[in-house]
Amino acid sequence: MSLRSQLLKGILDGCILAVIEKEPVYGYELSKKLQNAGLKDVSEGTIYPVLLRLQKNSYIRGEMQPSESGPNRKYYYLTDTGREALREIAMEWEEIVIPANFLLKMGDSK
Amino acid sequence: MMEAKQLIEMNNRRRTELTPENEKYYSDFLIYIRLQFFLSEQQSEEILMEILDHIIEGQKEGKTALEIFGNDPKAFADELIAQIPKENKRNLARFISSLSLNMLGYLLMIRGAIIYIISFFKDVDITVYPAKSVLLFFIILGVSLFSAWAIFKIIGGSLFLEKKNSAADTVKAAVVGMTAFGVIFSSSHFLPNVGPNFDFSWYFSLVIGFLVWGASRFLKNW
Repeated sequence: MSLRSQLLKGILDGCILAVIEKEPVYGYELSKKLQNAGLKDVSEGTIYPVLLRLQKNSYIRGEMQPSESGPNRKYYYLTDTGREALREIAMEWEEIVIPANFLLKMGDSK
Repeated sequence: MMEAKQLIEMNNRRRTELTPENEKYYSDFLIYIRLQFFLSEQQSEEILMEILDHIIEGQKEGKTALEIFGNDPKAFADELIAQIPKENKRNLARFISSLSLNMLGYLLMIRGAIIYIISFFKDVDITVYPAKSVLLFFIILGVSLFSAWAIFKIIGGSLFLEKKNSAADTVKAAVVGMTAFGVIFSSSHFLPNVGPNFDFSWYFSLVIGFLVWGASRFLKNW
């Protein structure tokens, strides 16, 4: 597995929770939003096992609702536990990214 | 909340929107997931609906299911299956008891009907030996469940293949069927008539069978 996809795998949960926090989404919409945000490597299938796992952990819950463009769709909502988890992931991410950025940039300027 | 039954209906309806190529890809995937007897039906149907919806949306952009979900649908399905919650024990128990009652009901009704018809032509022995009957019932139930499991296996093995070997599968299914019939037939023939017994007339058999069948319907929809 490439470094990029390993990093992505680690942080994908956080990214998905963050998208759902902004507004409830359904599966297809979620994959579009991740790709539009620049995460081109997220193959569209990968989000579904993650969504199931996040549901099992009660970080998100799904509700079947009529969508604007027609059929009933399962929309995902963030739960309070999910909000908590998202905050934690964001914090831990910063604790890694800021020092990592600093170190990598230092290496650059040499 | 949509029930599993409604989701299945919606799935049947929306599946007609798929291109033939995507239909083939998706239907193997669908059967493979539905064959997982111990998974929550509700959760399985929800994820199946989401995948179907995704393929239909992708189709509109000119993408095929193969491009969206990759060339190993089985691996993808297994990844999903690992995350789908198990069916809760109560639903499973209800399903199995409803199935057993349903079978008992049919057996009793068929017995009643057969005795009634035969009695026009000759005397029929209507003695019932409860010990033997109960044992026989469980043998029939066990053999039926085993056959269902074996057939599921055969179907599961036929999915996701480029070339389907339907002749071999037919032979395998026939062997399962004949074995099942052989076991049931020889048990009923060779089990001894021992213990207490009573007469059980055709109309009692029919009426009680009907009641048991009704109870199984009630249990199923409850």
